[in-house]
Amino acid sequence: MTFLAPVYLAVAGGLAALVVALHLIVTRDPATVPLPTARFVPDRPVRARARAFKLRDVLLLLCRAGLVLSAGAALAQPIPTPRRRPLARIVMADRSGSVADAAAVRDSANALLSPGDALMPFDSAASTGSISAALVTAFRTAVTMRDEADSLELTIVSAFGAEELDQATDSIRALWPGAIRLVRVAGRTDTVAAPDVVLVGGADDPLRYALSPARGTAEAGVRIMRGALAVADSAWAGAGNRVLVLWPASAIAAAQDTVGAVSTEEVTVVASFARGAREAPPAGRVVARWVDGAPAAVESVHGAGCIRTVNIPVPSDGDLVLDPRFQRLASRLAGPCGPPTLFTPVDDSRLAALAGTETSLRVPSNAIGRPRMVRSPLTPWLLAGALFLGLGELLLRRRRRSAESSEERS
Amino acid sequence: MRQLSSGALLDSIRGVHWPARRVIGGAFQGAHRSSRVGSSPEFMQYRAYQQGDDPTKIDWKLFGRTERVAIRLAHDDSSLGTMVVVDASASMAFPSDTWAKWELAASVALALVAIAHGDNDPAGIAIVGGGDTRALPPRTRRGTVANVLKLLLEAAPSGSAPLAPVLASVRTSKRVALVSDFLGDADALLDAARELVARGRAVYAVHVAATEELDPQPRGDVVSDPEDATLTRPLDSATVPEYREAFAAWRGRLAADWRAAGVSYTFATTAETPERVVRRIVAP
Repeated sequence: MTFLAPVYLAVAGGLAALVVALHLIVTRDPATVPLPTARFVPDRPVRARARAFKLRDVLLLLCRAGLVLSAGAALAQPIPTPRRRPLARIVMADRSGSVADAAAVRDSANALLSPGDALMPFDSAASTGSISAALVTAFRTAVTMRDEADSLELTIVSAFGAEELDQATDSIRALWPGAIRLVRVAGRTDTVAAPDVVLVGGADDPLRYALSPARGTAEAGVRIMRGALAVADSAWAGAGNRVLVLWPASAIAAAQDTVGAVSTEEVTVVASFARGAREAPPAGRVVARWVDGAPAAVESVHGAGCIRTVNIPVPSDGDLVLDPRFQRLASRLAGPCGPPTLFTPVDDSRLAALAGTETSLRVPSNAIGRPRMVRSPLTPWLLAGALFLGLGELLLRRRRRSAESSEERS
Repeated sequence: MRQLSSGALLDSIRGVHWPARRVIGGAFQGAHRSSRVGSSPEFMQYRAYQQGDDPTKIDWKLFGRTERVAIRLAHDDSSLGTMVVVDASASMAFPSDTWAKWELAASVALALVAIAHGDNDPAGIAIVGGGDTRALPPRTRRGTVANVLKLLLEAAPSGSAPLAPVLASVRTSKRVALVSDFLGDADALLDAARELVARGRAVYAVHVAATEELDPQPRGDVVSDPEDATLTRPLDSATVPEYREAFAAWRGRLAADWRAAGVSYTFATTAETPERVVRRIVAP
């Protein structure tokens, strides 16, 4: 039992003590004795009042004290609270495709869970998990569980792929007032190494700075043609699982307009791009689009490999090519054929930020969410009790008064 | 009321007479000297016969000796109708546990009736209070005292009925005794007594008071007038002396006023026996 406004209960207790004290030290009227010659007594104020330090009118006292205490308790708004556990855990289990083995997630979650804890699977196996969305759901669950435990603990069981975190993750994470336990499980095993890239172009081509250096394998899997295309190049691409990227360097010279951003499925680069002449794109899968929806890169199957046509200018001015986002864009455009299936683990610094810098995993439940309007279910009953006692007190007083008057008459 | 019903009071006053204090006029034979000239053997004087006198009253022996025609005059005895008015207001029921004041008043009243009845005087009683006035007209018949005793035993002092109208209505009795504490309509009562005295009635006032009224013990309580519930006063050691002084002064004024009105005033307290009080009242 807790009280929303315990000060009223304290005040009522004080008043009840005062009522008891008044009953103890109540002054009683002095006994009146008849004297036929009373008229000869000097007319002076009747000040003979005796103090009786003896509890009188116990029933009346109980009524009055009960009335005061009931009213005070009603104003104090008692809330019957269930038994609270010291700790409740909210375990977010990643069921997205980023996780290699769902059983590992389940085992890890079960190891943490105890009766009464909340298990929150997030995202289906067919899609990419979103930790931001899962965090929002976990916070809502925490608000509902704040009355069940003294402390709350949040745990995320996931492979923590880079695609599961987004730009909102840090802001949403900051809403949790404590540290988050991160339990990492193995990611997808279909991870493939990025193929070596050969750039056929000038030595000072700025695109070179955006691409990862070749690992020196025997044969490159990706050939970026910055100049004219030869027949041998297309034959090279169709001969194996190779990628021929047609990324002409002359795009800037033939610029028709500018556009603010280009994006792929993984990354968006915001910059002022001088877009070339709008020609009908070749048939194929759009790999990248301009911000206005126009295709910026199209991939078409060619034999065993594919040919990817990129119409994104690479400026030689400025440091756009050094921007990590542009580098990721370039890596994607220089990636293997088909949609991206690579699992990229989130880096350690991002993971540490997600875990938080707070020292304790346990968050006091009263720090979760805003105080909600709570109404005491006992208040109406207590007020009714106070009213009942008030009526009883009135009846008792009337009965005593009539008894006294009858005694006087007799 | 044990004293009333025991008969000891009546035994103690046996042989006591209540003579009239002056010659009275009356047609009925009694024990008191009448102002009328009658046929009593006690010689008073001779008077010369006048026209209109009864010739049978002429003393022929005197005529034979002196040749003067005269008639013999003698004293006549007359009865004295007595009415005792008793105050039975609430103030008489004091002290509340013994009613000693009422018992004294009732005993005195019964004794006066008994003495008057013993003198062959018509005696009656009027008890004012206790809800209504209960009266027994003056009678000489046997059993009158018993009836008066019964009335007194049945009476219970209460209320605050005025005595003056009852006293004023007593017209036939030549002797009126008033037994009261005079705490009610004292002024109106005195006026009625003056009127009775002026009409030749013998009025006796018996003022009864309880010893607790004369010397109350302060108990730090509040005292109230039984006939006026609104009158409450604190009675403590500081107020008792003033009370005694005021009460004594009032009694003194009361006695002086009643005596000045020609009333035989007697003050009696519960410390006295009724017999002693009665003997003081009837003493000539």
